[in-house]
Amino acid sequence: MNGSRLSKYAMVAPSVVLIVSLTIFPILYLLWISLLDWDLQRAGRAFVGLANYAGALQDRRMWEALAHTLLIMAVAVTAELVLGLVLAEVLAGALPGKRVVIPLLILPVIMSPIVAGYGWRMLWDTQYGPINQLLGWLLGRPVTLVWLINSKTVYFSLIVTEVWQWTPFMFLALLAGLVAISPEIHEAAAIDGAGRWQRFWQITLPLIRPLMLVALLIRALDVFKIFDTVFSLTFGGPGTFTETITLYVYLLGFRNFRLGYTAAMAVLVLALVSLATTALLRRFSDE
Amino acid sequence: MSRTMRSFILILAMTLVGFGWTAACHAQSAADIAVKAAQKYSGTTLRVIWEAGLQAQDPLTFSGPEWKRLTGITLQVVETPFPEIFSKIVTAHLGGSRDFDVISYVPAWQADLVAAGALEPLDPFLDKYMPRGSLDDIHPTYRQWLNWKGKTYGVFDDGDVFVMYYRRDLFAEPANRAAFRAKYGQDLVPPRTWADWDKVCGFFTEKYKPTLYGCAIQRTEGQDYFWTEEAMRNNGVRFFDPQTMKAQINSPAAVRTLTEMVNANKNMPPGVEKWGFIEVFSAWMAGKVAMIVTWPPPGRWSEGYGNRVEQLKWLPETKVIGKVGYALPPGGHPELAAAFNLGVSVESANKEAAYLFIQWATSKETSLKRVMLPFALRDPYRLSHYASKEYRALWPHAPEYLDTLKSGAEKGLLDLAIPGAREYEEALDRATVAVYAGTPAKEALDKAAAEWDQVTQRIGVDKQRQAYQEWASKPNAYPH
Repeated sequence: MNGSRLSKYAMVAPSVVLIVSLTIFPILYLLWISLLDWDLQRAGRAFVGLANYAGALQDRRMWEALAHTLLIMAVAVTAELVLGLVLAEVLAGALPGKRVVIPLLILPVIMSPIVAGYGWRMLWDTQYGPINQLLGWLLGRPVTLVWLINSKTVYFSLIVTEVWQWTPFMFLALLAGLVAISPEIHEAAAIDGAGRWQRFWQITLPLIRPLMLVALLIRALDVFKIFDTVFSLTFGGPGTFTETITLYVYLLGFRNFRLGYTAAMAVLVLALVSLATTALLRRFSDE
Repeated sequence: MSRTMRSFILILAMTLVGFGWTAACHAQSAADIAVKAAQKYSGTTLRVIWEAGLQAQDPLTFSGPEWKRLTGITLQVVETPFPEIFSKIVTAHLGGSRDFDVISYVPAWQADLVAAGALEPLDPFLDKYMPRGSLDDIHPTYRQWLNWKGKTYGVFDDGDVFVMYYRRDLFAEPANRAAFRAKYGQDLVPPRTWADWDKVCGFFTEKYKPTLYGCAIQRTEGQDYFWTEEAMRNNGVRFFDPQTMKAQINSPAAVRTLTEMVNANKNMPPGVEKWGFIEVFSAWMAGKVAMIVTWPPPGRWSEGYGNRVEQLKWLPETKVIGKVGYALPPGGHPELAAAFNLGVSVESANKEAAYLFIQWATSKETSLKRVMLPFALRDPYRLSHYASKEYRALWPHAPEYLDTLKSGAEKGLLDLAIPGAREYEEALDRATVAVYAGTPAKEALDKAAAEWDQVTQRIGVDKQRQAYQEWASKPNAYPH
């Protein structure tokens, strides 16, 4: 091996060491732990093969948590996309006060989700919350909705909070796409007789579609990991009604210390997310 | 001198020496002995994990500085929110981080903490330093919390028990008494059953709302299981079948209990399903509810004791001074909800000093001062606390308050304390909150029972049977 080859290896070695120690090793270790019956509150850690995986796949609470997560993801991301697109479309044009409105709009994204969650928890409060107060003024009678306990309102509250915080992200991403569209294209279409609505469907949407898909993917992955908002607003309750997969994994791992079982569940979730992401990316690249 | 006479004199002399030695030992209290022995550790620092907030004001502003003054040992308080205490103790132990010397923990966690190997047995220290009989002053009910499987792991430090507080003035008002009798054909008195509680609560709510509601109990997630465990056991529910270890929390009596609990919410203030400890006692202090069931501190603060000190300035000013009545909650067997033990971490580099702090802090003299701190969240738990003339003179109804606490301790029900206790309790808590949210009681409890069975299977049926039978054999496990 000559000196120049050695120096090449030396150059890439730090990156390889970093990747192996921070990514490959933890994943391999996670896989190993998932094969053990390891409960930090009990002595011993016996090898149990795939028993933890079998247990997790039969765990009704895990499937329910997964369903809750997918529900929040579907509704919240769709709402964020629609609202973000509307806002971007409105603010892409020449609007008075735009320079003030845009920074104000993106404020929620800057906020830590746990802070936003606790803030909204106060807003949703039955007794002292401004939301019930405002509704009371509008309806002319006291409103005592228990937003975060009532099974009919708890998802609404959770999703509104999530949408409030993350719509600005979608708005910013889509605004960047909209302002990048050359005005000449719209002008040409207008000369050809296309109306505003037609131009939006036939020109704007197709042109920002790749950006929109990437933004959707980022947000979908983000919502799949939703933790802080649920933790601070409902802690998965009432009961396990809003428990998400990350919250469930957290409770198993860090409250009940069932490391082997938690690792198996984490591997399953990781596999699921990886498969979904790969499929989506493949579809995007095909398009 | 005859041989018999010599023997008699020898025995007499030895007896006298023995009595003298015992008397000398008794002259030195547990606190004195601890302080004297701890002085050799002067200059060291003890780290204690303690519940954050008001609870931590005791070691931060009283016992910590006082211990430092007496022994030269610094007390460093690691404040931790209640839901995270258990995790922090276990992770610190597993990491071998020597983060804590003294551990303030909930007795119901003792089995799990011992199984995790986090607690040091205290028996050698007790034998060496604790004067004989000193622990006998702890109420016998609470003394049941000191041991696990024949070893002592903690010294009891907080007499948590649920108390019913009621408005004397409203119960004494002739118009209310007459109206209640006319409606129900019985006297308006503090309720002894949950059925009567509903009647009284409904009566006051109907008459006074929205200015005042008949009753309030905290219903938010996280601590609901205390009330559910209490109400179930008062209705005759047993947690497990002692032979098969199948969960019994979905039995007809259990379903009826939870159904009654959710029905009781109808007479409580709107949104009570999200009320925690703070909301309940704030409403009580503001004179907006006629009855509450909660822990002991509001009983002191609402009579004006201590609520103007710096630590409690955030409390609403009490509007019920002189109007507070004390009684055992309906059912007559209150939950001895949570409480605290003080133990020593196995990782501690200063185990003896840590133990000596515990002996001093929980001693008769020091503990009385601590439970009388105006901002205290540690509640009376020694027989001498209940009898203390000093304490009984703190406000006009203090004797009644202390007698109620003592009676509660006698008749109270211990939290379920077997391995996996937290997991059982969390499942029950989730079921309770789900029922408040509209899930049928039977459905929620079936689900919780299935979770209990899973926990039992995972830990081991035989192991759990043994632990449960040991716990259930304690006099205060079930109504007695």
